[in-house]
Amino acid sequence: MAGRSTSQHKIRLLLLIPFLLWLFAFLLLPAIMMVISSFQNEGGQGFTLGQYVKGLTHPLYTTAIKNSVILSLVSALVGITVAVIGAYSFTTFSAKMRDRMLNISNIMTNFAGVPLAFGFMILFGINGMLTLLFKKLGLSFLVFDLYSWTGLAWVYIYFQIPVAILLIYPSLYAIKQEWKESAALLGANTWQFWQRIGVPVLLPAIAGTFSVLFANAMGAYATAYALVTQNFNLLPIQIGGMVAGDVFPRVELGSALAIILFLILAIALFINEKMLRLARKGQ
Amino acid sequence: MSFVHIRNVSKSFQDNKVLNQVSLSIEKGEFVTLLGPSGCGKSTLLRSVAGLNDIDEGSISVGGMDITHLPPKKRNVGMVFQSYALFPNMNVYDNIAFGLKMDGLSKLDIRSIVDDMISLIDLKGKEDRYPNQLSGGQQQRVALARSLVKKPTVLLLDEPLSALDAKIRRSLRNEIRLIQQRLKMTTIFVTHDQEEALTISDRIFVMNQGEIEQVGSPNDIYTAPASEYVARFIGNYNVWSRQQLQGLPVRGVPEQGDVFAVRPEAIRMETGYGDEIEGGIVADGKVTMVSILGNILRFEVDVSGLPVTVDMLSGQSIEHLGSGTPVRLVIPRDEWKSIRKSS
Ligand SMILES: Nc1ncnc2c1ncn2[C@@H]1O[C@H](COP(=O)(O)OP(=O)(O)O)[C@@H](O)[C@H]1O
Ligand SMILES: [Mg+2]
Repeated sequence: MAGRSTSQHKIRLLLLIPFLLWLFAFLLLPAIMMVISSFQNEGGQGFTLGQYVKGLTHPLYTTAIKNSVILSLVSALVGITVAVIGAYSFTTFSAKMRDRMLNISNIMTNFAGVPLAFGFMILFGINGMLTLLFKKLGLSFLVFDLYSWTGLAWVYIYFQIPVAILLIYPSLYAIKQEWKESAALLGANTWQFWQRIGVPVLLPAIAGTFSVLFANAMGAYATAYALVTQNFNLLPIQIGGMVAGDVFPRVELGSALAIILFLILAIALFINEKMLRLARKGQ
Repeated sequence: MSFVHIRNVSKSFQDNKVLNQVSLSIEKGEFVTLLGPSGCGKSTLLRSVAGLNDIDEGSISVGGMDITHLPPKKRNVGMVFQSYALFPNMNVYDNIAFGLKMDGLSKLDIRSIVDDMISLIDLKGKEDRYPNQLSGGQQQRVALARSLVKKPTVLLLDEPLSALDAKIRRSLRNEIRLIQQRLKMTTIFVTHDQEEALTISDRIFVMNQGEIEQVGSPNDIYTAPASEYVARFIGNYNVWSRQQLQGLPVRGVPEQGDVFAVRPEAIRMETGYGDEIEGGIVADGKVTMVSILGNILRFEVDVSGLPVTVDMLSGQSIEHLGSGTPVRLVIPRDEWKSIRKSS
C-alpha cells in the first residue's frame, strides 16, 4: 500500500514538471533578470541604485506613477461601488435573468485591451458615432474628450465593472435573507442593516476585489497604449516604451520602474490587509 | 377577549393558495403550537404575523391593535428562525444588544438588560464569542435572547429546534418552555414534530393545507383526534376504514362511522383465547415483528392482511411473543374512535 501510494505520489510530481518548467521559464527567470537589470547601469553592467533614483525623482516618471495610481484608485473605487450595487440587484432577479446578466458580465470581461479602446474610439472618438450624434442633437454636454484623463477614466471604469461584478457576486449570496428579516424585526431599517451587517460581512470580499481592480488598472497596458500613446503619461506606457523601445531601449530603467510598480501593488495589498484586520477588530 | 386575533387570513403565492381563511385566537401568556407537515403553511402564517409577508385577505391584531398593515419593525414581535440567523460579524453581546441599540437606549441601560438576559439563557462568560464559535444550541439561545430583550408582545418560533440533534433538542425545548412561563410570554411555536408539539404546548393548532384542522390541548389532540388526517399525523395511531375491515376476522365493530382510529397502547393482546369482553372489538392475528422502544415493546400484528400496531409496557411476561405467535387483540369500546374522513 505504502509503496503504491508513494509511486502514485511520484507520478503526480512528474506531472507537475511541465508546469514548474513553464513557471520558471516565463515567470521566475524574467523576474530575476528584471531585478538584476534594475540594479545595472545603462548598457547592462555594474551595480547602481541610479535607475531607482531616476525613476523616483525625475518628473516624467513621478508624474507617470502619480497618474497611474490616481487613475487606478478612481477606476477601482467607482468600479467596485457600481459592481456591489449591480451584483446585489442581480441576486434579486429571477434565475434566468441573473444568469443572463452574469453571461454579459463574463463577455464584457473579455472585451478589453486594444479592441475595447477601438470600440470607445468608434463611439466616443473625435469623429465617433455617439460624439457626432450628441452634437447633432444638441446634447454636447454628453460629449467628452476620450483622449483626456476623463476619457481614459471612463474606459478604465468600463473594464473594471464586469471584473468586479464577477468577483463580488458570489459573496453576495452569503447575505442571508433571515439576517435582513431579523434586523427588520429588531427595528433596523435597510440602511442600518447594510451599515451594521451587510457591508461588514462583505468587507473581506470588497477589499479583496478592490486589490484586484487596483492591480488590474495599474498594469493595464494595451488599452492605455491604444488610446493615449503620447498625451497622457502612465507608468505601464513608460515601461513599455523603454523595454520595447523603438529608438532608445532603456531596459535597466524600465526594469526599475517595473519593480517600482510591483512594489506599489505590494504596498497596496499590505495596506488593504492591515485595514481589513483593523476593521475586523473594531467590530 | 383574546390577546392575538387572526381573522380569516388568506394568502396565495401565484396560483398556490397557501393559507385559506385561517382564524385563530391566542390568550395572553399562552404557548400555542402550529403543527403540521412541511409545506402546509405554518411558516407563512407565522411570517404574516411578523409582517414578513403580506396577506391577501383577513386581519391580524395583537393586544387590541390592528397590525395587519404595519411594517415588521413597528409590530414589536420577536421571531426566531430554524437557521438561528445570528449576525455573523457580531459577538454574543452585540447580537443580543442589537435591537436595543436600534431603539436608541443608552449604553448603560443596554448593558444591564443584556447582562440579565445572558444569565437567564445561561451564556455567562460567552459574551465575546462569535456565532461560529458556538454550538447550534448556544446559537439558538442567543437568537432567543436577542428577541426577548425587546420584550415583544408575541414571540414567534419557526421550527427553532429542527436543526439541532435529538438530545439538545429535548433540553432546549424544556428550557424554552421554562423561560416562556417565567416571562409569561405569549408564544407561537411552529413544528412538524408531533412529539415536540405535545410536550411543549398549552394548545395545539393542527394545520392541513392552509387550514386549521383541529384545535385543542395536547391531551385532546392525542386522545381524541377529530379526523383521519390528525390521527395519521399524531403518533402511531392505527387508522382503518370500514371498507378495509370488511371480511376480516374482526368482531364487534360498531354500526356507525366510516373511519376508525385506535391508539396502539389501548389495544390488549392475549394469547390464551379467553372470553370476549363485553362491548369490545376483537381481532385475531399473528405477530410479524417486535421492536423495543425504551420501556415499550412495539408489536406489528397481521390481521389477515391488515397491519395493526400494538404497544405494551415491557415486563408483562410478553417478551416471549416472537414473530409468528398467534394473538387475539382486544380493543375496549371507548378506545375505538370514529373519526372524520379526510380527503
Ligand atoms: N415566498 C414564496 N414564494 C412562493 N411560494 C412560497 C413562498 N413561501 C412559501 N411558499 C409555498 O407555500 C407553501 C407553504 O410554505 P410554508 O408556509 O413555508 O410551509 P411550512 O412552513 O408549513 O413548511 C409551500 O408550498 C411553499 O412552497
Ligand atoms: Mg416552515
